[in-house]
Parts: sequence; C-alpha cells; structure tokens
Amino acid sequence: MSKKDTQKEVVLTPKKVYNFCSKKKLILGVVIGVLLVFIAGAIIRGIHLAIEFKGGTLITYTYQGEINTNDVASAVKDVVGSTVVVRTGESLDSGGKQVTISFTSDQGLTVDRQTELTTALREKFAENDLEIYDSNDVNPTSGREFLLKCLVAVVFAAIVVIIYIAIRFKNIGGWSAGVCSIFALCLDLLVAFTATVVCKFNIDSNIVAVFLTILGYSINNTIVIYDRIRENRKLMPKASLNELINVSCTQSLTRSIRTSITTIGTMLIVTIVVMVTGYDSLLSFSVPLMMGLISGTFSSLFVAPVTWSWWMNKRAAKGKTSK
Amino acid sequence: MKKTGKKTFFIVVAFIAIFAVTSVLGIDKLYGDNRTTYVKGVDDIRLGIDIKGGVDVTFGPAGDFDADEAQLDSATEVIKTRLSSLGITDNEVYSDTKSDRIIVRFPWKVGESNFDPESAVKELGEMAELTFRKGTDTTTDAEGNTIPSGEIVLTGDDIASAKSQYLPTDDGKDLEYVVSLELKSDGENSGKEKFAAATGELMGTETPISIWMDNTMISAPRVNSTITDGRAQISGSFDADSSKKLADQINSGALPFKMETKSFRTISPTMGEGSLDAILLAALIAFVGIAVYMIFLYRLPGFVAVIALCGQVAGSIAAITGWFGFMNGSTLTIPGIAGIILAVGMGVDANIITGERIKEELRTGKSLDAAIKIAYKRAFSAILDGNITNVIIAVILMGAFGVPDSFFSKILNKTIFFAFGATAEGVVYSFGFTLLAGVICNFIFGVFASRLMVTSLSKFKCFKNRKLYGGDTK
Repeated sequence: MSKKDTQKEVVLTPKKVYNFCSKKKLILGVVIGVLLVFIAGAIIRGIHLAIEFKGGTLITYTYQGEINTNDVASAVKDVVGSTVVVRTGESLDSGGKQVTISFTSDQGLTVDRQTELTTALREKFAENDLEIYDSNDVNPTSGREFLLKCLVAVVFAAIVVIIYIAIRFKNIGGWSAGVCSIFALCLDLLVAFTATVVCKFNIDSNIVAVFLTILGYSINNTIVIYDRIRENRKLMPKASLNELINVSCTQSLTRSIRTSITTIGTMLIVTIVVMVTGYDSLLSFSVPLMMGLISGTFSSLFVAPVTWSWWMNKRAAKGKTSK
Repeated sequence: MKKTGKKTFFIVVAFIAIFAVTSVLGIDKLYGDNRTTYVKGVDDIRLGIDIKGGVDVTFGPAGDFDADEAQLDSATEVIKTRLSSLGITDNEVYSDTKSDRIIVRFPWKVGESNFDPESAVKELGEMAELTFRKGTDTTTDAEGNTIPSGEIVLTGDDIASAKSQYLPTDDGKDLEYVVSLELKSDGENSGKEKFAAATGELMGTETPISIWMDNTMISAPRVNSTITDGRAQISGSFDADSSKKLADQINSGALPFKMETKSFRTISPTMGEGSLDAILLAALIAFVGIAVYMIFLYRLPGFVAVIALCGQVAGSIAAITGWFGFMNGSTLTIPGIAGIILAVGMGVDANIITGERIKEELRTGKSLDAAIKIAYKRAFSAILDGNITNVIIAVILMGAFGVPDSFFSKILNKTIFFAFGATAEGVVYSFGFTLLAGVICNFIFGVFASRLMVTSLSKFKCFKNRKLYGGDTK
C-alpha cells in the first residue's frame, strides 16, 4: 500500500458493532453441548468402523439371474442385525456373477452364523441359485496404519499452519492466534464426527475426506477474520483488543454468512439429490460435511476470535500484576 | 501493472472459454476408426473404484509356500507402490494372514484404450527380483523352467534407487534408454562394496556379469574396469516405457515370495452404481444456484465471478485429465470431489470477499476506479493467506500419501513419517491433488482473471454506474 492511499484513508466503522467478545458463555455452552451429544451418541449408537479399519470377513457367493444389492443387504440385516456392504461383480476367469458381503469383526460372524446366513439367503433368493464361492478374513493392520498416518499428517499440517499464521500475523500476536484457529478447527471436526456417530454412518475413508475438507474450510474462515483484525490494527492503533475483534467480526459478518450460504447450500443440495436418487452411501459424506461447515461458520466468528481475546486479555492482566 | 484496457475483458473471456471447452471436450481426431487423443476430455477421466467399480484380484503365494505376517505386510506394501507407479492411485489392498492372501481392488474403465487390466494384474503379481550374477549359467528347476544359477553379486535390496535415462551409447554416436542404478553405500557389506569386489575380480576376464529380472536375462555386459563409485547401468534394447517400467519395479522392490492370481473379477461401485450422476446433478444445481446468487448479490462483479468460476472448474477438470503436460492425470474419487468442492468454495469465497470490499470502498466515497483497485489489493491479503494454508495442507497430504519416489514424499517419509512404511494411499492423495490444482486455479481465475475482467469492464461507459458494483448512486 502506498503512503498516498493511507493518508486519505477514512476509517469507516460499521454503524452497529455487535459485541462478539461477550459471548464467552455461549461458546462454552456450545462446546459442552457438542461434547454431550457426542458422548451420548457414542454410547447409544456406538462407533462403527468400516471393514478396512476394523477387520472382518468378506463372503462371496456366485449367483444366477439378476439380484438387487439393496435386497441382499436388507436380507442380511434381518439375520445379522446390522447393516453390511454388498457389492456385485463378475468373475473374469470363470465368467460367473458374484455377490460379495463385507462383515466387520464386531458383527460376530461365527461359522454357525455364516451357515445360518447362507441358508437364509438361499431361501430368500431361491431362483438365484446362490453358492458360496469364497470367504476371506480381512486384516485391519494396514487400515489402522492408514488412519494413524492420516492423523499424524493432519497434526503435522496443523503445526505448519500455526507456524504460518504466527509469521503472517506477527503484528497481532500470531502464535496465540494460530493455536486458537486450531482449537476452533477441533470443534468443527468434533461436530462432523458427532454427526457421523449420531447418524450411525460407518467410519470409512469418506470420513477422511470430510475431515480434510473441514480442515481447509475452517482455517480459511478463521484466517479471513484474522486478516481483518490485522488490517484494522493498522487503521485503529488506539482501539482495545475487544473493540478491534468486535469491529472486525462485524465487518466480516456479511462475507461469512454469504460464503457459508453457498458452501452449506451446496452440501444441502448434494444431500437432497442423494436422498431423492437413493444413493444413500454418499450421505455419510455430505451430512457430516454439512454439519462441520455450519460449525465452521460459527467457530470462525465466535470460537477462534473470542478464545483468542480471552487468552490475550488474560496474558495482559498477568503482565500487569507481575509489574 | 500494465494498463488494463477495454479489450482485456474479451481476451480473458476468450481464453477462459477456449480453456473450458478443450478441457471438457478434449481434442481428438478421427482417422477411420482410429481416435487419436491430443487433449483428454471429461470422457477420459479415470473414475475411482468408489464411483465406477473396478477389478478385484486375489493373490496368494505360489505353490505350498507359507508366508508369515511380516512377508505378507511387505508384499502388500510392494503391491501398493506398484499400483501407484502404474498411475492407479485409487486402490484398496487388504491382506489376510489366515489364508495367506492379498486382495487388491482398483478402478475399472471400460473402453479405456491404453489401460489393460490383465497386463496390469500380471505386472502386479510379478516377483520382480533383480539379481546381478557372475556368468550366465542356468539350470532347470523342478517344474522345467530355466532359472539362473550363477553366483549372486547383487540383489534388488542392494540398490538405493533406479531411474530411467536417455543417454549416449558407449561409442557416443547414438542415444539409448538405460536404467541407471545407484547402489547402497552404507556399511562394509553394502551394494557398493560388493559390486566393487565383483567387478574387480571379473575385470578383463571372459566371464560377464549377467543381470536378471526374475528368470529373464536382461543383459550380460563384460567387465572392463572396477566400478567403485556405486553406480551401474543396465542397457539392452529398452524403449522409454520398458526402461521406466524396469526402474519402477526396482524402486518398488521385489516381492518376498512368488505370487499367483487366485481369482480375478469385476466389482460394482462401492458408492452404488450411478452415484456419479447424482453428484453431477447436484453439482450442476449448486453451480446454477451459486451463479444466480452471486449475480444477484454483486451484480457486475458477481457476473465476472461466475465466468471466473467456470474457468476454475475447468481448471480442476484439466488437472484430473492431465491437460497440463507436466502434470500426470489422477483418478477421480469421492475425496477428490471433496477437494474440488473445497477449492471451488474457496474460489466463491475469494469473489465474495472482493465483492464486499468493492461495496465498502465505494461507500467511503472513493471513485469507481480507485475503489476497484484498492478493494482487490486489500482482499488479496486474506485470500492469499487462506489459500496458502490450503496449499500447505495439500502438499503435506500429497507428500505423505503419494508415490514414494516424488520429491515431497522423500523428505516427509524420512522425517515426520519415519515410523510408517512408505505407503501410497490413493484416496488421500487424490484429495490433495485436486485441492492443490483447485487452489492454483483460484489464484489464476478467482484473483488475477477476475481483477482483469472487472477493471476492464469498468472502462466502458455503460458500466460506469456505481450501482452495478453495489455502491450508491452519487
């Protein structure tokens, strides 16, 4: 920015500045609320890991004629009591048609239950002439290692992001701002995870995609607000931190709401289209992502700036008493 | 900055239009029945197993071999690496220790001319044990196969890295493809030392050193001098593909045991057939919705934003099809779509931030030209920081889950992820790939192109009205 620009700069504070910093209790309430819902969801619904993370059994049957995977899934559900993944396929070496059912290990597929299942399926799909072709146990080690590696990658990315924010937002105390943005992100991820658990979705590689997307959105949202604070710090050097945050959040409010309408709206459209067309498997992607985005809008406007102001004010108070 | 004139708008729009059309439709030519593809379009996108279904192969050890868990794990890693080298980034590999089997799934595209699942499966199951041996002696094993029997000098484990190169031949008259090897040089019994000892022993004799891939002899050069620098080259009638394949095989390592295909079949999509149509329908509705919303909110800058978004979506498609020559295409998976959604969302956000800024600056009473200029300048710092953090995330993910041979993987796998094997997980890589491509497009279209377009349009008399930019009428 050239000097000429700054000289004729008019600082235009919004007519009505909302007091974001006074909402500490609201944030605490939301965080506790989400945690409670999550714990309740985990206890009542349980956490369902997909076969690649949990291990389990893949049973393949050969069949004749036409078979509907959804019918097979519901028939299996009647016997085993939980939802399973069913795929159909065609053997390239023998040319026969096959249907594969995946069970995770907690579904307790003993040899007896397997026989029971086979009998039940053969009864129900008598005209399809089901024959057991193959039964494989799936080892969860590589799936678990994948999850762990994802976690390490995300934590590492978070650390690099904190360092980046610390450097770019040096003039407003970057380190604490970086840590608070990651705190806000954690809330968003928790919300998305809670949505997955409460809706009883399987935890499969879709959730990894959801988490990564939220990681990007949430940090971007928070940075836009920090950027406004950084700019206003220059324009209003005398303002207190809380004033600064309140003005900046108010100025960014329109943008935050409008951006959120487009992103959340997009996921809403995906959810509706998926429900109408019946490809339910995509719901485990769109619903948690939508919830995470809603949380992301809230957390970038409230959680990150407010926890940050609380931190900075506390530090300032400490500094005063020690002097 | 150079002065942006009235013409600029049309030039930018024309550029975006050409780019969008070629990346969506592709460029190809029909000669009789032969279709030559110059630029790949949407039809050539490789869809992931979660969207399109694919091939399911079960491998097991050949014969009565009983593999232990460690061997199965290392075989699993080798297969994953090979899949990535083949450009199949979306894959699922499970191992089953009870029955000693490895189940591999990868996406399938019917009618893809340059992809042959059967040869890919064959390549995956090859043991790919590289050996350097003294002499060219062979014997016949119990099954009647000819197998090499010379004393082993080096195996694949002694090699640090291999790469395909196009180098002059010994007489310097011609160029040929070779595979250059760098031997491991740590410790006393390293590949470098062993190779130096063997070449020293055979120097000047009639006995060559023969190089074998499993039971096939690639070449048997005579030794002219002792090689002590830990470098070796394999030559022999290679072309670009075969030398790259050999280098990839050496890099991904040999399987710990011989494998054979137990079953081979096609599978239906994990997400349900036709799920792509549902996603596309949703994407179309969402895009139209966003377009209407942007034009309604920001009028002229909103209209420009929609053009820029078209460019950005085309850019994401182009990245996946491999439109850019320097970048390989990738497989489109659900996480990949998530990456596109995130990047497009960031693009919308960039336009909203700028649109809001133009309004704000107009309200402070600036002239239209000044307001546009300052708004883009101020909005840029927020857009820059937001997008750079996403670049950081994308690069880390691509490094952690990409092909181990790539630059970032090498750095990350030796530091942060030292505790993990060098795994190549396609789904996460796919996300990082589309996100990175999308964010770069966001800078090109969402920031640069849209600024050019808005500035250019504001030069027209009919677009001087401040209301068109969301300002007041004065």
